[in-house]
Amino acid sequence: MKRILAFALTLALLTLSLAGVALAADDPSEEVTIRWMLDGSNVTDDSAVLEAVNAYLKEKINAKLEVIWGTWGDFDNNSVLNINSGADIDIYFTCSWSANEYSAYAKKGAWVRLDDPANNLLEKYAPNLFTVLPPVLAEGAKVEGADGVGVYGLPGYKEVAQQYTWDINTPLLTELGYSVDDVSDFYAFGDILAKAKEAKGADFYPLNIEGAVLERMVNHSDIVDTNLLLSFEFDPVNPAQSEAVIKSRYETDGYKKFVEKVREYYQAGYINPDMANHESSGPARTNAQLSGAYLIGTQTYAPGYDRQASQERGFEVTFKPAQAGIISTTSARGAMMAISSASKHPERALQFLALLNTDPYLFTLLAYGVEGVHYNLQDGKVAFTDKRQDYLPWRNGLGNITQLPLTVDDDPDIWEKFAKFNDAQGVPLLGFAFDATPVETEMTALINAANEYADPLNAGVVDPAEKLPEFIAKLKANGIDKVLEEANTQLQAFLAAKGN
Amino acid sequence: MSVAKSASRRASRLTTVGPGAEAVFHLILGLFSLACVVPFIFVIIISFSSEPAIRANGFSFLPAAWSLDAYRFVMRLGDQLWRSYFNSFFITVVGTALSVLICVLYAYPLFRRDYKYRGFFTFFSFFTTLFGGGLVPTYMVSKFMLGLSDNYAALIVPLLVSPFYIIVMRTFYSSTVPEALIESASIDGSGEYRTLFQIILPICLPGIATIALLNALAYWNEWFIAMLYITKPQYIPLQYLLMRMQNQADFLARNSSMIGAEAVNLVANQPTETLRMALVVFIVLPIACAYPFFQRFIISGLTIGSVKG
Repeated sequence: MKRILAFALTLALLTLSLAGVALAADDPSEEVTIRWMLDGSNVTDDSAVLEAVNAYLKEKINAKLEVIWGTWGDFDNNSVLNINSGADIDIYFTCSWSANEYSAYAKKGAWVRLDDPANNLLEKYAPNLFTVLPPVLAEGAKVEGADGVGVYGLPGYKEVAQQYTWDINTPLLTELGYSVDDVSDFYAFGDILAKAKEAKGADFYPLNIEGAVLERMVNHSDIVDTNLLLSFEFDPVNPAQSEAVIKSRYETDGYKKFVEKVREYYQAGYINPDMANHESSGPARTNAQLSGAYLIGTQTYAPGYDRQASQERGFEVTFKPAQAGIISTTSARGAMMAISSASKHPERALQFLALLNTDPYLFTLLAYGVEGVHYNLQDGKVAFTDKRQDYLPWRNGLGNITQLPLTVDDDPDIWEKFAKFNDAQGVPLLGFAFDATPVETEMTALINAANEYADPLNAGVVDPAEKLPEFIAKLKANGIDKVLEEANTQLQAFLAAKGN
Repeated sequence: MSVAKSASRRASRLTTVGPGAEAVFHLILGLFSLACVVPFIFVIIISFSSEPAIRANGFSFLPAAWSLDAYRFVMRLGDQLWRSYFNSFFITVVGTALSVLICVLYAYPLFRRDYKYRGFFTFFSFFTTLFGGGLVPTYMVSKFMLGLSDNYAALIVPLLVSPFYIIVMRTFYSSTVPEALIESASIDGSGEYRTLFQIILPICLPGIATIALLNALAYWNEWFIAMLYITKPQYIPLQYLLMRMQNQADFLARNSSMIGAEAVNLVANQPTETLRMALVVFIVLPIACAYPFFQRFIISGLTIGSVKG
């Protein structure tokens, strides 16, 4: 009885929330509240910031802002629940790697299409937006959603390119008699590593790696699906010229060669045995980085990070590119804002987003806090106060960070470096997102197999001569070929549509 | 107590096993309890270890250096920590009191054979253990229709009624309370309320204490509900505070390459392992202190019955 009642009421509620969307055109004279759900924040007191923001928004677009400060720990769960239940939230953070993944939820109809020909909100409310943001971002934001191919979210403007680099403990490398130039080919690291191991003793692991990242670095293979079953290998020098074909990551010759080499390094004692799984590898890697107990590591790079890392670790860290930077779907959709189709005021929400990406005052306020409270200006540069600890949103998840003033710790040329870094080549797969729904049954078993084998193999903890054939047999038995075929069919369709 | 002791001494000759067997049993139980206690002792030791020592040597029962840093950090969490502490205490006390009351009141008629709708109401509560509404519908009903969002009710109401405890309590009534007792009470002119509160409940204290303990544990340890329904820091209970730190650390370990350069900064500023262990100590201590209090009732309940003879 209770359940039937609940079910009926749920239905009624659903209908209501759906009906809500079709309601009423936006009336600018009515003050509305925009509710915004973010990821990765560490905010305990937003009162001062929101007071200033609301005073400003009232005047600009007659709206109030309410922020739900999701954290890395709770965002995935909460955002999905809120979307599925049609909660009264106007704007969600979304991206290529969160649980409310941009393209999948666009397909489900969770987001409002912003460039709908019938009601082009972008043109009406944010005509200048994509002239501020690089065109490649607009291309990356196009996706096949519930209302056709179009833009369903606004990409944040942060490090748009993606580049893997060797993270080098420079003083130690110099001490051993090598220079940064000697670190380039993974397959030729043997001598350097042997020398480091000899100098520093048995408890020292010179190769401080994240196995999955190392694999992508060495094989120049990009992410196609979040579970890393598939890969797209790009040209390390001319990424735009790469052949557009998806491969089964663990079945290539390159992968075999890679795991054999890693195994060799592991057996020589260059890799910490803790790297075999996610739980222990994270802390072990961080410990080695902070204490300088490594020689060469792996790092996803962004401008300014060498400076930051050197400050944090207390010694000079060099990041040496292992390949050209690329712009891929994952990196172009690294942080986005989408307007929920349950939003009652999509127009006002978009106006807010447009302002956020083009108005340095508003963005600085939201990212860095209130001047005089969370930071003070020293010679025009931002110096944070202790109050900043109460207000730490995930800056790069908010929007166009190139509007920000420099902080005292920043490299003075940081924004030029950003522009240069982001001027990378897009890969042919840019904009393509694999939709795993048609092969969902196969995926579950395949993911289990990958969870079992991939990490230990990538870190050299197990013997590839025995485990790799076992792994591949398991992939074959669970239908990797079908998944691969489906992915390439989807890719061909995507390329054909893009060509037109 | 003393009566019970001498009685057991008298019976002891009949119920003892040989010294050899006894030694083996003691050994097994000793090892078992050690296995339960040692991890917690380890947690306490880690919380007092110095972070650089952990970084260099990993966890150890005898850390190279001791440090109070973790506790200093915990104290620096400041307002949020005390606020969460208060929240946990508040929901545990209020929630336990309410849920015990509801459980006792619901189970009582189910135990009375003269209650007409006994079968229906037993099924009514039992049914919910078989079928749940699923996460999303439950979430929608709780949050949007009942308004269980960012308030104390959101932390208390979802755990208020547990069919399992109702069954336990009903069984406890029927094994402890003889029908004759109710009958004689009513013959002596006691009304239903007086019979329940002054005659039945006092002899059921052990059962109530058991339910109260289980409820208190459930409320104290709850974090999932807080994760679903709480976004405002002022309502976050202690367990969820810890859970959030843990989730966050796990998330960053898995996805650092996706978040990009900022992640490493974030990882480096994560609460350290020692800090998390110190929080665990903060969480476990109060509930560990509450245990002996409940235990008194539970043990005395085993030795006292209502009808002698």
